[in-house]
Amino acid sequence: MPQELMYLTKEWRDEAERRLKNELTPEKMNFITSSMSNIYLNCPDGKNKYLFFKFVDGKLDTLALGEGEPPDAEFRISGDYQVFAMISRAELGSQKALMTGKLKLKGNMVKALKLAAIADRLNKVLSQIPAQY
Amino acid sequence: MTSRLENKGPYYIDFPGRIKAIQQEMAKEHIDVYLGSRLRTLSWTLDAFCPWRSFVVIPNEGMPAAFTFVIDAARVADESWLDEDHVFGFVPMGGQDQIELIAEHIKDLLKNKKGRIGVENGMSNYLPEGNLTHYEYERFKDALPDCEFVDAYTIIDKLSMIKDEGTINRFREASRIVDVGHKAVYEAISNGGWKGMTETEIAGLAAYAMRKEGSEWEWSYTGGNEIASGYRTGLAGGACTPATRKKLQAGEPLMVDIHAMFMLGLGDHSHNYLIEPVTDRQRWHAQNFLDIVNLTLKTYRAGITPSLLAEQMMAFAEERGFADYMVPGFEHGIGMMGDEWRIGLNDGPFPFWTNPDHVYQENELIICAMQYACPQDNIGFRYENPIVIHKDGCEPLSKYPLTIDEIQ
Repeated sequence: MPQELMYLTKEWRDEAERRLKNELTPEKMNFITSSMSNIYLNCPDGKNKYLFFKFVDGKLDTLALGEGEPPDAEFRISGDYQVFAMISRAELGSQKALMTGKLKLKGNMVKALKLAAIADRLNKVLSQIPAQY
Repeated sequence: MTSRLENKGPYYIDFPGRIKAIQQEMAKEHIDVYLGSRLRTLSWTLDAFCPWRSFVVIPNEGMPAAFTFVIDAARVADESWLDEDHVFGFVPMGGQDQIELIAEHIKDLLKNKKGRIGVENGMSNYLPEGNLTHYEYERFKDALPDCEFVDAYTIIDKLSMIKDEGTINRFREASRIVDVGHKAVYEAISNGGWKGMTETEIAGLAAYAMRKEGSEWEWSYTGGNEIASGYRTGLAGGACTPATRKKLQAGEPLMVDIHAMFMLGLGDHSHNYLIEPVTDRQRWHAQNFLDIVNLTLKTYRAGITPSLLAEQMMAFAEERGFADYMVPGFEHGIGMMGDEWRIGLNDGPFPFWTNPDHVYQENELIICAMQYACPQDNIGFRYENPIVIHKDGCEPLSKYPLTIDEIQ
């Protein structure tokens, strides 16, 4: 059994970056140029964290993990750490989390709709990282 | 519908210029953000038809942003002069419902999250008007607790009252299309063609002819093309006749009130028929109506008011002995899609109704609208035609001949 990494640690981020670069080709990412920040509220250590993704022409350019205010991004998804954890464990769909208000999206919904399938591909890769929450 | 690529040549409207004019008026009233919700405001600022609940947010400088139901947002972005970065779709999702999405957008505009927001309060007898609802107002106030909300619709009403050349040309083209629709109806019902036809069929064949000419839809909320025959033409005080399945009958009048839309410019013209055999009494009614329409068209000019015109026309009708059959109103307001009914500003004795003492100015556009109804004789006629007010007269945009045709 592969080693489980602590969710949202530097080790988890590094593994996420490796997998995203290996598994999501520019073709699979529709050659998009866009950015997104996931904002994790009420993390187990009591802090708020972010995970910032930037893709340029379909290639992962930046994956940044941090605390406090994230860099400016085209889309900003915020919610409780536990909600993101449930999504990562496939216990909750990201669409349902948005439709029930558990997650909040800031950004242009028309553009977001175009990127919905891509976001699902990205989430699927992240959900396959063995992790502890 | 309208395409941004068509906003050129005779139909060109300077939409960025309109936004700048709004922003100048906002500055005079110390308004930081204008939150428009009326259909007339959306058409006038976006150049796109917005059939779903929609809003336009105009900052005190820079580009406006449109917000509509997500299922229609991409089309609005495609047709409007705004780019897709300035058209947002709302959905029932966290952060994306219309109140939160717009409130967050406004907060981003008001960097210190305080400001004065102009809204479109009010009421209308035109159902799709789109004033901000009480519920929406309360929710926006909750979402923007440090903002002051003020009525600001007069800014749009004032700026949109006098029509520019592009707007008038769009109305001219819509009227040309309506005239084609009338010709199609005439050809279809002539020489016994009317036999077995229903009002809905007349509405449909006019619609088909107008759509072939490029009409976007039969825009009127009164049921699209309004067709009435027989006693329905003479309903007392009636000026709203959605077509029914009633069949046309010999010896009856027929009223054909059809509507076309071209780039949010509206065609609205009513033509009348008598199906043979025609009685002398019917001809008497018909001549009365033609005479008063002709006189009305000769009377419209800059400087006259709705009440002054009505007084003169009703005096004429009284003198001729048909005042009992006239609806004592001779016009309704019109503008780009969604701007219907009220004329001028909201400055009359009855809030949100036409001020009877409104003084017409050059390049105002109204619908000359007249209704004649004699229920006891089961007869009535309607005239409608967009007219441009000029200094010394008016320009009827539909050129269809003013007659009451007798059909075999």
